[in-house]
Amino acid sequence: MKYDIIIIGGGLSGLTAGIALANAGKRVCIVSAGQSSLHFHSGSFDLLGYDARGEVVEHPLDAVGQLGPEHPYSRLGKSGVQRLAAEAKRLFNRAGISVSGDAIANHYRLSPVGAMKPAWLTIGGFVHSSSGTSLPWKRAEILNIQGFLDFPTQFLAASLKALGVDCQVKSFTTDELSRARKSPTEMRATNIAKVLVDKDSLRKVADRINAISGNADVLLLPAVLGFSDGQSLDDLKAWVKRPVQYVATLPPSVSGVRTAVLLKRLFAQLGGTMLVGDVANGGQFKDGRLVSITTEHLPDEVLYADEFILASGSFMSHGLKSNYEGVFEPVFGLDVDASGNRGDWTRESLFDAQPYMEYGVHTDEAFRTFKNGNTIDNLYAVGSVLSGHNSIRQADGTGVSLLTAFG
Amino acid sequence: MAERIQLKNISGNNLEQCLKCSICTAYCPVSAVEPNYPGPKHSGPDQERYRLKDEKFFDEALKMCLNCKRCEVACPSGVRIADIIQASRITYSKHRPILRDMMLANTDFVGTMANMVAPIVNTTLGLSPVKAVLHGVMGVDKHRTFPAYSSQKFETWYKRNAAASQDSYKKHVSYFHGCYVNYNYPQLGKDLVKIMNAVGYGVHLLEKEKCCGVALIANGLSGQARKQGQVNVSSIRKSVKEDHRTVLTTSSTCTFTMRDEYEHLLDIDVADVREGLTLATRFLYRLIEQGEIKLAFRKDFKMRAAYHSACHMEKMGWIVYSTELLKMIPGMELIMLDSQCCGIAGTYGFKKENYERSQQIGSGLFRQIKELNPDCVTTDCETCKWQIEMSTGYEVKNPISILADALDVEATMKLNS
Repeated sequence: MKYDIIIIGGGLSGLTAGIALANAGKRVCIVSAGQSSLHFHSGSFDLLGYDARGEVVEHPLDAVGQLGPEHPYSRLGKSGVQRLAAEAKRLFNRAGISVSGDAIANHYRLSPVGAMKPAWLTIGGFVHSSSGTSLPWKRAEILNIQGFLDFPTQFLAASLKALGVDCQVKSFTTDELSRARKSPTEMRATNIAKVLVDKDSLRKVADRINAISGNADVLLLPAVLGFSDGQSLDDLKAWVKRPVQYVATLPPSVSGVRTAVLLKRLFAQLGGTMLVGDVANGGQFKDGRLVSITTEHLPDEVLYADEFILASGSFMSHGLKSNYEGVFEPVFGLDVDASGNRGDWTRESLFDAQPYMEYGVHTDEAFRTFKNGNTIDNLYAVGSVLSGHNSIRQADGTGVSLLTAFG
Repeated sequence: MAERIQLKNISGNNLEQCLKCSICTAYCPVSAVEPNYPGPKHSGPDQERYRLKDEKFFDEALKMCLNCKRCEVACPSGVRIADIIQASRITYSKHRPILRDMMLANTDFVGTMANMVAPIVNTTLGLSPVKAVLHGVMGVDKHRTFPAYSSQKFETWYKRNAAASQDSYKKHVSYFHGCYVNYNYPQLGKDLVKIMNAVGYGVHLLEKEKCCGVALIANGLSGQARKQGQVNVSSIRKSVKEDHRTVLTTSSTCTFTMRDEYEHLLDIDVADVREGLTLATRFLYRLIEQGEIKLAFRKDFKMRAAYHSACHMEKMGWIVYSTELLKMIPGMELIMLDSQCCGIAGTYGFKKENYERSQQIGSGLFRQIKELNPDCVTTDCETCKWQIEMSTGYEVKNPISILADALDVEATMKLNS
């Protein structure tokens, strides 16, 4: 099979690159090994949340200049980051993913345990605040579904009280939600979202909420609505009498699943091909170029393309692996930026910046990869598989995934 | 030494690779509608740890698993979740198949009997009193209509009308037709012969063909499935190794069962012939791409078809072959339906206790088809075909039948002579 471009990885970065290229008229194929880390999505996208010292960044574009030369943003430059950030926002808009926020100034999101974290774009309807130390309400009610354990209401309430919000926790259920609770292990955000796709079931939830809620400034609900579109979030807001805002839950993340579904749908509409549940397992190189790849499901099928993009993610997504010998990139054995000494990979304190987080595939100014010290002219790396950034320490993961994918 | 220890750290069906991320639960069609089912993560890798300690931890609720494999397709860590579930059913289940299960599972026996008296069987199975008995006594849901039995088996048609001319071709393939083509819908087999002959290939039956056994495995009859599997594999081996004939299929589930489930669930070694067994659309696509054959299509063919991704097609990763082939037809407008399970899962949806769940699982798909209102639906799986036809009223065609219909046979023969 022959494509213009083959992308390895169907997460945020691979899908973004796929959509941008298919939109430009290219024949694109994405090889995707299982679902992506979008399923751990917080409800927000980060551009740059913290600087190298761990201080909160208020104006991400201004802070780009202070990053080290190894950071992917440094190769895009401040103007590049600004332009691509705007493009990412347009892409979300086109895919039907509603977000608010701007690259000029970070806002703050509310984490499932009640911490305020800097963010760039937040999914429509979710709690967000311009300040990291205050929230715009005096009194809030946290309403949880009975038996839903991935929404730690007591932590949340304690955090809100510390921020000066008077807080009450209440719980509710309906016949449909009680039925779903029969299997406690399956009482997860994504399954609740499927139960509440049904309008009548959602209407009953609205009725219950109206019956138990007082006159707080805001009702905070777990983000368990909208598996494949955002309609039910809007419906519930319209039916509940008090103002409603959603708070991210522990994974699996409904907003992340929805983002993945909507991006995949747009990619398919643009004529893209997706090989799902398949693993790229090697490539044929000639004269400094990658000629073709093979996959596990199609062992005797050679997939040819003019250009290839590696968007296979970091350690969690198996885009990078390690063993006693070292850190390696498993598909092609590309050169990686990583210490050869295993003792250097980690710091003893969990909360220190962990060096392995910055490990990744070595690339040049144009994000081209290397094998045995030689550039591969037509194999680019994008997103979390890139070296030189720490998505946990600096809150730059989704930004790197989105921005480098357009490049 | 260190490296060798790491290499040994591989568990059956990748059990130990489970991160407990729960992504599989988000894509399980049963979990979404049935709270009494413990879900793929819990039924698979979680409970397996307990079952390894003591078989009393086995839960009969696992029979609600459709074995659709969508959990495995979604898993980012390569855990064979559905294989873990099915293997544990084979090992630990105390549930014994009832008469209904045996009848649904023994497609060969029931099909042979039914073909002999097809008009009577078809009429009888459609009568309300018979449906009431099937529903009440046998446990076959009354909403179900059995796919009609053909009065002539595909094998009989083949021997009378096609066999004699097949040796005259230069190149040859074998055809594993499966029960559905043989007993219910011989036209699909005829369509395949028409296409293969047009591109210069003779089509031959296997020395011996038995039902692939997918329904036997699902109904707790794995011993019989293993015996039938061994017969099939030895016929396939003879075709591939001695006669040098690739074995083609027109059913995604038979193909998947023989290529993957035989090895994973029935301990039948297929490694040496696995690549010699393939879906006809994949075989054709690859020959076209290699420039070995060419297809010519009728100028007046027009169709707006919606492609349904059957679960086992998705698991094999071969949807791209069928859809790319269909897109080659100039008059074809192909729409991709959202990939989701139709709910039938072979014999599962025919059972009274599963009917409602089965329809609920497929409801999103049915709604989408009705909204799109295509000329027909196309899919590579025959049980999806029944389910979609019964539940939407839209006709469902195998890609091979569409291709045969759109083919300009004379022009194709000229191109390939």
